[in-house]
Amino acid sequence: MDIYLPIAEVSVNWPLLVLLGAVVGFISGLFGIGGGFLMAPILIFLGIPPPVAVASQASHVVASSTSGVISYTTRKAVDYRIGGVMAAGGVLGALAGVELFRYLLLLGQADLVVALSYLIFLGAIGTLMLYESLGQILRRVRGQVTPHKERRRPLWLYGLPLRMRFPRSGLYISAIPPFALGAFAGVLSAIMGVGGGFILVPAMLYILRMKASVVVGTSLLQIIITTAMTTVLQAGRNQTVDIVLSTILLLGGVVGAQYGARWSGRFRAEELRAVLGLIVLLVGIQMGLELFVRPSDLFGFAPGVAE
Amino acid sequence: MIQALPPPPPAVEAPAPERSAATEDRLRVAAALTEARVSVDSGFSGASIVLYGAVFNPGDDPTDVVVVVRGPDAPVRLVKKTRNLGVWLNSRPVVFEGAPGFYMTASTRPLGDIADFGDLRRLGVGVDHLRINAPEESRVVTRYGVRDVVISRLGEDYLDWRRAVIRLREAAALYNTDPEGVRFVDRGLFRAEIELPAVAPTGQYFAEVWLFQDGDPVSVSNLTLTVEKVGIERDIFEFAHNRPWTYGVLCVLLAAFTGWAASRIFRRQ
Repeated sequence: MDIYLPIAEVSVNWPLLVLLGAVVGFISGLFGIGGGFLMAPILIFLGIPPPVAVASQASHVVASSTSGVISYTTRKAVDYRIGGVMAAGGVLGALAGVELFRYLLLLGQADLVVALSYLIFLGAIGTLMLYESLGQILRRVRGQVTPHKERRRPLWLYGLPLRMRFPRSGLYISAIPPFALGAFAGVLSAIMGVGGGFILVPAMLYILRMKASVVVGTSLLQIIITTAMTTVLQAGRNQTVDIVLSTILLLGGVVGAQYGARWSGRFRAEELRAVLGLIVLLVGIQMGLELFVRPSDLFGFAPGVAE
Repeated sequence: MIQALPPPPPAVEAPAPERSAATEDRLRVAAALTEARVSVDSGFSGASIVLYGAVFNPGDDPTDVVVVVRGPDAPVRLVKKTRNLGVWLNSRPVVFEGAPGFYMTASTRPLGDIADFGDLRRLGVGVDHLRINAPEESRVVTRYGVRDVVISRLGEDYLDWRRAVIRLREAAALYNTDPEGVRFVDRGLFRAEIELPAVAPTGQYFAEVWLFQDGDPVSVSNLTLTVEKVGIERDIFEFAHNRPWTYGVLCVLLAAFTGWAASRIFRRQ
């Protein structure tokens, strides 16, 4: 049941990969996320070379996000205007991110930066989600009313030039913050192999203060365009996209995602956020741990052999 | 070379009869591989190739056979982790050249018992005698617009670095030393197995079969082995490397199509 991956140049058990795609797809459908932050570390654990793992699973994110955007579009829950501005930033960020990743590979510091990014971003977002959702669950159990949050955007959003109207999101703000947010997610997408939904969704909700109904659909649009760009760039510049690997992951992934989306209606939103926060935090800690634990072998191969 | 044309065949002389092993008067080794070509296809999960051969020994002195298989050169970049402020960080990578991508020895006895250090070093037989070196001088190479320092003066821990290259490749089953890998199945007839892991590099492999007597190399037989990607695996690999941008766009289109198709199928249900 093993299959040889032509670009990764390793042999893997393919039913295991289909299962992995299905499980990550289920989680991504359940929580409305891309799932890249889970997929990349597991692939590396299975022995896929890290550059190939990061680059190949980006197309898995494209597939699961495409089916998401289609269903959100039919519900008119995608703001194509602000999504376009963010995606423009995302494309620029992906360009910069792929070059940065290449440079880090040459310096031998790619794994350090990947581990640090996972530790910092996943650790912070996971902690925040867990804290916020647990507080909400506790208040509900005690029968308290959720305090009304102040719905004011930060003032600096208004001081910037290039203001645009985004009617579907209910915004009239400068185009710079969404552009910068998109660019930031684009860089992360290239380095961590993630869509960046875990950064985009909270930032769109709490910093840009977009209408909650369009946040997930719009972030998925931005993710598709950014990860599509990342995939093309990784293939073109680094030749690290393994089409066999990503196709196997896709097959399980799209099916899992559909079932996950159906199950998501069965749970309360804050309970889902608490579980997701816990998963995000654990993955972040797991990836960051290698920085502090004495490695079993002090020496290691640095990928990217001189030509 | 034109002047190296073979002489015309003798007109009347009958062909010389094949000499059998028993009538061979010179100490000699002959060997062959069961497969000279290993195909890496979608089912490839490593390969096991049998090398068999014969020792023509007119005398009674015992002989030793050493099989050395060497894959194509694959320079490595090695980093060492050091602890800074409680965090394990990578050093600048050091490039080691002359390290084959695959290397194995199989012999009738431990190499150290067969020949002395100098002979093994001269012949490059044994994983300790590979000419793995960091380049002689420190130089700065610019690749893809990035300045990459290739260091050679590693100082006292140079041997640690060198050993690490071997250790890491041994861990990946790419380097292997089997002191009992050559087995005599009958008088003068021996066999050895070459185990190629799935991660073995593609390209031309060279096998040397050395015959030692009293610590001296007396005969050698050279064989080649080709490991190549075939079928769809090769097509994908070549497509990805020859037309990387088209390949990338195709990957994205395939992914987007799969996502779209899945949402259509599941909506109908």
